[in-house]
Amino acid sequence: MRTVVATSAGLTLASSSFVAAVSVANFVLGDTAWIAILVGGLLCTLAAFCFSELNGLLPSAAGIRLYFNRAFNDRVSLTVSILYMLVVIVGVVGAESYVLSTLLSDVIPAVPPYVWIVLMLLLVTGMNIRGIKIAGIFQDIITYGLMFSMLAMGLIALFKVDFQLNAPLSPGGATGIISAVAVGVFLFVGFEWVTPLAEEVTQIRQISRGMMAALGILSVIYAIFTTAMTATVPKEVLASFAAPHLVFARAVLGGAGVTWMTAVSLAATLTTFNAGLLSVSRFMYATAREHALPQIFSKISMRYFTPWVSILTLFLIGLVVSGVILLTHRYLVLVHLAAAMESIVYVMAGLAVISLRRRMPEQERPYRIPFGNLVPVLTILVFAVLALTVLVTSPWVLVNLAVALLLCLVYVNTAVPYLKKKHQARRPATRRRPQRRPEGAGGN
Amino acid sequence: MATHEEITESLRVFTEKYNKNERLKIMNRDWNRVVVVQATDVDSQHTLTLVDGVVSLKEGKASNPDLTVISDSETLADIFYGDITPTGPYNNGTLRIIGSEDDIIRLDFISLMIWGE
Repeated sequence: MRTVVATSAGLTLASSSFVAAVSVANFVLGDTAWIAILVGGLLCTLAAFCFSELNGLLPSAAGIRLYFNRAFNDRVSLTVSILYMLVVIVGVVGAESYVLSTLLSDVIPAVPPYVWIVLMLLLVTGMNIRGIKIAGIFQDIITYGLMFSMLAMGLIALFKVDFQLNAPLSPGGATGIISAVAVGVFLFVGFEWVTPLAEEVTQIRQISRGMMAALGILSVIYAIFTTAMTATVPKEVLASFAAPHLVFARAVLGGAGVTWMTAVSLAATLTTFNAGLLSVSRFMYATAREHALPQIFSKISMRYFTPWVSILTLFLIGLVVSGVILLTHRYLVLVHLAAAMESIVYVMAGLAVISLRRRMPEQERPYRIPFGNLVPVLTILVFAVLALTVLVTSPWVLVNLAVALLLCLVYVNTAVPYLKKKHQARRPATRRRPQRRPEGAGGN
Repeated sequence: MATHEEITESLRVFTEKYNKNERLKIMNRDWNRVVVVQATDVDSQHTLTLVDGVVSLKEGKASNPDLTVISDSETLADIFYGDITPTGPYNNGTLRIIGSEDDIIRLDFISLMIWGE
């Protein structure tokens, strides 16, 4: 259970989360960001209910690839999965590398930001190719250490400024609140990536409980930390930095705070990078194995049993994406893009629960969401509104997501049938399995 | 629907092919695992045991397997004869594997090494 909570929370804790937290604070008035964050966490709990039912029904490391395949069809499942993985890798690598390289360049100005990016990507790529996983007890130590650090730093700051809520329940207009909650969802992005553990845990319900516990703990920690940040440093100042947590740490504890926050940020980014690269490279390997990506991506290292071509491809994509973000400084677009994509996936998870209740009514469900279709319907409505809000308020996100979706649709409808046909042509003409003789056709 | 004998034969062919592949045996010499193969539509259970890189097959189910491969008899026979890759049935839910993700990938890799793409 401890590891399930650590895995779920660890995947969401990232350096770019601090940027998203400041973004949330800027959408609402005064020191009311905590309201948007708690609401965001609560809404993600709706999605967590849906993932709990889906995971219990179809426990598999394939995750949404399998849920959407069964609920809709293979093409929808493949299109959404590829789009999701694309957004995740671009979002995670782009935003994370930008935030952390800015932070490290601030601490050690002699080293240019891109050098830090290359070093980090090389480290994580090397770890992935060697098959070194941050798992089990190490994941627990890192995640609980991160959460403790955020909580401690937040409480120290609140104590130092003798914090009192000025206008605790006046967050401002509806548009600002909805935008804040929509971006607030980004703070919890990835909590459901714990579902691949379904094949490893002895009790499926542990995954559900772990997800819920992680969301609860993270909501409180993010709320305290964000309130402390905005109470210590003006929101406008925080928003003008790509590493606002460093500015905050410096204001609270000076040099010691900078060292502490640098360690926190490094650990957060490395675990996020590692988890992102691990999940996406395995997805690429599995997709190539089912002939929906070129065969080369299924190549495995004979020494370490890891999909090295997929990992190296992601390394190269990471270098390009990071370079582009470093030149354009549009890292916030990636944060909003990931929030919108995550909301879309949650909408589809709600739809999948309803669809699978119709398609597989007799199938055993270790966990079934109570109150009929109320929670899935709420999930669909809430996250549809949040996704639309992000897309309407950020035209760049809309354009990027539309282009990516179009490319995925074209790929799935043209390249995938071609690859599958090519594979069929290469297969042996006859099956290896001997034909069974018909009943009663005994030899004489 | 495949019969228990057909599944046994597919696993025997798989075991034979594996043990003839010296490279695979060297690569898996530290990967000692017990794999149970279980059909959902016929009464058929087998245990593959990997020790020091060599695999052996037994009928019946071991008590504490590291991996459990569960599917309908047709899919199991087709997978172990190498007529289909495990990934397709895995992604559409026909095939379920209980175990660690790393072990699942290793098993898929062994199938890739034996049967090719």
